[in-house]
Amino acid sequence: MIKATTYDFDAIVIGSGITGGWAAKELCEKGLKVLVLERGRDMPAGTGYLGEHAPSWKLPFNGKPERKLWEQDYPVQSKLYAFSSQNIQFWNNDRENPYAVDEGTPFEWYRGNVVGGRSLMWGRQTYRWSDEDFKANAKDGHGIPWPVSYEDIAPWYSYVEKFIGVNGKKEGLPQLPDGEFQKPMPWFAIEETIKARLDKNAPDITLTNARTAILTEDLPGRSACHYCGPCENGCSSGSYFSSQSSTLPAATATGNMTLRSNAVVERLEYDKETGKISKVHVIDAKTKQRVTYSARVFFLNASTVGSTQLLLNSACEEFPNGLANHSGTLGHYLMDHFLGIGVAGMYSENQDSYYFGNRPTGLYIPRFRNVQKQDEDTNFIRGYGFQTMISSGNWMGQLNTRGFGAGLKDTLSKIPPTWTFYMGGFGECLPQERNRVFLSKTKKDRFGIPQVAFDFAWSDNEKAMAKDVKSQGERIQKAAGAAYSMAFGDTENLSAPGAGIHEMGTARMGDDPAQSVLNKHNQAHDIPNLFVTDGSFMASSSCVNPSLTYMAFTARACDYAVTQLKAGAI
Amino acid sequence: MNRREFLECAAVLISGTAISRFASALSEEQRVYLASAPDYTSQKADFFSPEQRKVVAAIAQTIIPRTDTPGAIDAGVPHFIELMVAQWFNEEERDIFQEGLKDMGTRIPREYGQPFDQLSGEQQLSILEAMEEAASDSPWYAQGNIRRAWVSDAPFICQIKELTVWGFFTSEVGATQVLQYNVMPMRFDGHAPRTPGETSWAPFNFYH
Repeated sequence: MIKATTYDFDAIVIGSGITGGWAAKELCEKGLKVLVLERGRDMPAGTGYLGEHAPSWKLPFNGKPERKLWEQDYPVQSKLYAFSSQNIQFWNNDRENPYAVDEGTPFEWYRGNVVGGRSLMWGRQTYRWSDEDFKANAKDGHGIPWPVSYEDIAPWYSYVEKFIGVNGKKEGLPQLPDGEFQKPMPWFAIEETIKARLDKNAPDITLTNARTAILTEDLPGRSACHYCGPCENGCSSGSYFSSQSSTLPAATATGNMTLRSNAVVERLEYDKETGKISKVHVIDAKTKQRVTYSARVFFLNASTVGSTQLLLNSACEEFPNGLANHSGTLGHYLMDHFLGIGVAGMYSENQDSYYFGNRPTGLYIPRFRNVQKQDEDTNFIRGYGFQTMISSGNWMGQLNTRGFGAGLKDTLSKIPPTWTFYMGGFGECLPQERNRVFLSKTKKDRFGIPQVAFDFAWSDNEKAMAKDVKSQGERIQKAAGAAYSMAFGDTENLSAPGAGIHEMGTARMGDDPAQSVLNKHNQAHDIPNLFVTDGSFMASSSCVNPSLTYMAFTARACDYAVTQLKAGAI
Repeated sequence: MNRREFLECAAVLISGTAISRFASALSEEQRVYLASAPDYTSQKADFFSPEQRKVVAAIAQTIIPRTDTPGAIDAGVPHFIELMVAQWFNEEERDIFQEGLKDMGTRIPREYGQPFDQLSGEQQLSILEAMEEAASDSPWYAQGNIRRAWVSDAPFICQIKELTVWGFFTSEVGATQVLQYNVMPMRFDGHAPRTPGETSWAPFNFYH
C-alpha cells in the first residue's frame, strides 16, 4: 500500500515583498495553508515605522547623514535617495549581508531586509505594459518571444489595480494602456501651464499624472493620502500599497498564513523520484538553527537576484548548474532601466501661486519614440518615458549663497522665484546573455551561502537612446516655454547598473524549454511544483516601472497553480 | 479616516506608551520612534571653551540675525555647531575648524583690540565678508555643489556657514517660525495663493 505523503504546508512562499505578499494573499484566499518565509526582520505595520513624521530637529545631526554608520554598515544602500535615518531599519545591512562587489562588474543592489521588503520603500509608480511591449522581442529578435500577450494579462492588471489602489488619469494611449484608476492627484499651476503649451507646440507629447499606487480615495482598512510627503519612511495609514498595508493583512485574515521572519532559505531540495521540490532548508538568522519545511508547491518571491541566487545555490545531481536550469539560461539576461539622464527647465510663470501639502509623486510623459513603428530619425529600437517632478526649491538648494545677515536670511527663507521642471528618462534595456548574476566561487555570507556577483554592461542601444533622451528632453522643455534648460547625466557612462532598482530577468519565461527557465504560467519547465513570480521571470524590460506587471503575473500564476493542484497535476 | 482620527492614531503610535506596549514586537536592532525622541540638540556639549562659545555665537548670529523673526541664537544654532564639530566632523574637518576658531581668537583681538563677539555688527560683518572673499575659490561655492553631504576640505568660514544655515532651518524655531511647517497637510493644492514675501515649506528630506 502506498503511504499518503503528508506535508508541513500546502504552499511555501519565499519572500514577503511586493510579489511574495501577493502570492501569500492569493494562495491563502484560495484555501491553501501557506508558510511565508522572510529572511529579514519582523516589521509590524505602523508600529515599525520608526521615522514616520519625524521632524528635522529630532533626527540624528538634524538630518545630516550618519556618516560613520552609513559608511561602515550601509555603503551600498546609503547611495540611494530614499535611504535615510528615518527608514534605516528597512534596509539591508551591507556589512552583515554583503554581496561580492569586487567580482564581475559594479552593480548597485538595493535590498530590504524586513518583512514587506522593498514594498515599503518603492517608488510606487504603477504602469501597465502595452501589447507592443509583449510583442517587442518577437518583432525585433532581441530576447525570446514572450509566451504571454497583453490580452492574457489585462484582466489580472485590473484585478491587481482594484486591490492596491492606483491613482491616475485615462489617456487612451496604445503604448500605455489605461487601468482601473482612483481619481488623479491635483496638479501644480505651473504643470498646467506646461501642459497647455505642450498640447499646442508638441502634440506628440502627452503629459499625464504619474500613475501611482497611493490612495486618493479610502479603501477598506486604508486611508486616502494625507500628503505628508516621504512615503519611503512607511505609512501608518496604509495610504500607499505595501505588503503591510494590503496583501499581508488580507492573507492574515484567512487564518491560513504562517509568517516566519529571520528565516533565511539556504536551498530547495529536489526529489529525483517525484521530479518535484520536496522541501526548503531554512537557517534562522538569529540562532543559526537549521530547519526544513515540506510543501506541495513552492513560490519563489525573493526578488530577482535573491531568487536566482537560491536556484543557483540549489544545484544538485539532476541540475548541476542550478535548479530548473536545463536550459542554461538561469542567471542570464539580467536587465535594469537606465536613469539619471534628463533635462531640467526653469520657469518664471505662475509666481502668484505656491502649494499646500506634499504630493508624493510627479507627472509622466509616456513613451513617444518608435511607437507602433520605427521612427525614421532614431538610431535605436524600443523607447523610454520621462518621469517628471516640480520643485520651487528652498534654502537647501542655495546653502552656499554668498553673503551674510538679514539679506542672506531673506534669500534663504523666501520662496525662490522660479519653478524647476525636472524630466528624467527611464529607458528600456535589451536582454543580453552576457548580463548576469552568478555565485562567487570564494565568498560566502555568514550563513555559508555563496555570495552573488554581477556582470553587466549597457548595450549601444541604451547609449544611443540616452542621447535621444537629452535631445528630446531639450525639445520638450523648449516647447513648454522654459526660460532656461539644462541637460544632465552622462550618456557615455550610463547610471550604475542596478541603480534603477528595476533589476529583472535571470530566470526568464518562454515557450521553449531549451531557451527559458519558466513557462507562461511562471512554472519551471523542469519542475512542475516550482513557480518564480518576482522580477526574475521577465523576458524583456519595457521602459515602464515593472512592479505592477510582477504583481499581475503573480496573481495569475497562483490561480493556475491552485487549479493544477486541485486537478492533481502538481 | 479624518484628520482628527488620524492625529489620534499617530499620537498613539508615537507616544511613549506605544513604545513600551510594542517594545516586544520590535527587535533590538530597531530604534526609538524618532518623532518622540529628544531633539538632537538636547544633548550636552563640552567641546568649545567659554570664549570660543561667544565667538561662535557671534558668527552664527551675524550669518543669520534676529530680524522680525528669530535668528540663529534664538534657534540654538551655536549649540548645534558645537555638537556637530564634536560628533559629526571627521578629524581633518575638526582640525580645520579648530584652526579657524583659534585664528579668530588670536587674530581678531590683535587687529581690532577686542574679541570678535565684542565688536560692532559692522566690524563683524566686514570680517566675515573678508574671510568669505579669501575663501571664494573653494569648491564649496561651486554652483552645483548642493546635492552632497559635505566638502571635506572646505575652509572654516564655509564650515561654520553651512552648519549655521543647516542648524537654523532644521531647528524647530527655524522650521516652524521662519519657514512654514505642516507634517499633516491632509490635502494637496497646487494653486495655493502666494502672499508677497512668503517663506518656503521646510523640507522633509535631506540631500546626502
